[in-house]
Amino acid sequence: MAEVVITARGVTKQFDGLVASSNVNFEICVGDTVGIIGPNGAGKSTFFNLLTGLYIPDSGTITYFGKDITKMPPHDRVGLGIVRTFQLVSVFDTMTVLENMMLARIRFDGTYGKKRFFLRNLLKSREVDGCMKALDTIGIAGKCDVKVSDLPYGKKRELEIAIALSMDPKLLLLDEPLAGMSMVEITEIMDIIKGLKSKLTIVLVEHKISKILDLVDTLYVMHEGQIICSGEPNMVICDPAVKECYFGRDNVCY
Amino acid sequence: MLKILNNSVAFAIGVIVVGFVAFAYSASVNKITDFVIFCIYVLGFDVLYGHMGRISFGHTLYLGAGAYGAAMCAKYLVPDPFLAMAMGIAAGAFLGLIIGPIAVKTKGAAFALINVAFNQIGYFIVLVALARYTGGEDGVSLTFNSYGFVNFGNIHFLFAFCLTCLVAVYYLMHRLYGSAFGIMLLGIKENETRVRFLGYNTSAYKWVAFIISTSVSAFAGALFVINYGFANPGFMDPARNVEVIFAALIGGPGTELGAVVGGTAYMVISNYLAKYIARWEMFLGAALLIIAFGFRKGIMGYVRELVEKRIKANAMAAEK
Repeated sequence: MAEVVITARGVTKQFDGLVASSNVNFEICVGDTVGIIGPNGAGKSTFFNLLTGLYIPDSGTITYFGKDITKMPPHDRVGLGIVRTFQLVSVFDTMTVLENMMLARIRFDGTYGKKRFFLRNLLKSREVDGCMKALDTIGIAGKCDVKVSDLPYGKKRELEIAIALSMDPKLLLLDEPLAGMSMVEITEIMDIIKGLKSKLTIVLVEHKISKILDLVDTLYVMHEGQIICSGEPNMVICDPAVKECYFGRDNVCY
Repeated sequence: MLKILNNSVAFAIGVIVVGFVAFAYSASVNKITDFVIFCIYVLGFDVLYGHMGRISFGHTLYLGAGAYGAAMCAKYLVPDPFLAMAMGIAAGAFLGLIIGPIAVKTKGAAFALINVAFNQIGYFIVLVALARYTGGEDGVSLTFNSYGFVNFGNIHFLFAFCLTCLVAVYYLMHRLYGSAFGIMLLGIKENETRVRFLGYNTSAYKWVAFIISTSVSAFAGALFVINYGFANPGFMDPARNVEVIFAALIGGPGTELGAVVGGTAYMVISNYLAKYIARWEMFLGAALLIIAFGFRKGIMGYVRELVEKRIKANAMAAEK
């Protein structure tokens, strides 16, 4: 039995009476790739935000490698290796590609928090080489001085994933990485994720079920804040309850 | 050209020094000393506004804190100008230290108004509550020690000293903005949540930026006191916040040179336009409207844009 990375036990979160996440139990083991699907408003993003610390649950506990992190602030969770991306691509438009990457990496430069952090020119950090290499893996090292706002959307998404990878993640949470992408871009991102699958523990929230079916080991289906079904992907999508909430009552089996 | 705008701090400092010296000795040294100090104040304000994306409507509190810190030191301890400056900066830093944690939790209107609230409290304290020491509405007059040529009563020395201070603060800001910390502030301005998920405790860094801003503003306040030889509640008047906001806006928030250009532009308008037009503030209001609706990036932002466009066009032409 592989070691458990993150566990959620009875996690509940309400917003003004709306139960966005209700008694959710969730577990992922080292090396697994887990998908979370569900209709709009099912509570996928809320659950994601609970795992990463943007929200603190009203009740329930979240543990990470056996350590209780339920109330730990996001930046400390990132320090432990819980790294996420966002549904709407969140790279910094006003900065250059390299600056974006550097901002993620300066934490790993020996000067973090010291005097040089405040006064030394960013580009004199020894992390620059590593950043350029990371940019090279997604083929935009040549554009390191370009403002991110000038990149196409798909490249921004790739940059965001590259940034996430540069932060030494142990657990990578991808929030709808395929949203708003063209077919070509989807293929590129899928290739990247497939390449990561063997190296990392990944949680994936996605709308495009067909795309992730053969990618994930386990599939969770959320509906109205609850996990209604989980298990092997091809089993899950044939589950009657899943079909009813997700595909509509009269839909044929996927 | 863009490289010069971006990197050449020496060039910028050269322009500032030559510009101010020429201006001072063709107009009035006394007056231009004021301009120089005001530019330091704008630089302090712009740490929060241009870089962290937080607009404070109560920054005169920190200017006033510096002014009164220096004045109280000179009046009740020793009239040493350097100690007075240090006390002024310390007063500003102290306020930043205690107000910071509350203020930086907020943004937008809440941040602006929290600063106004503290500004009002500070104004009341120097005007009424501690009037026995601060001289209330009349303020206090001061004289400072002089040591040989280090004589702040000499306008030429004072001007040179203030200009040196401006250059020093300018250089400090340049270093800060180019560092990892500066990039992080820009990140916080654009998307703070994202910066937190890069693993940074943004509250702490916002607090640091807040203290830097209040300290630099207080430094300007202390210099004003040394320049005028008095401190009165006018330094802390909440109604005067519009000055620094206008200056930062007109110059172009987010660039060091923009702060200096804006500070100078504002001082020129308020000093020289007032001679010809009695109610010059009316034009200030109109100008503010124009800036807010059509000229958001200010003078330096506009210059930058022009240069960038030019470079892009050149690159396109070269490709063809």
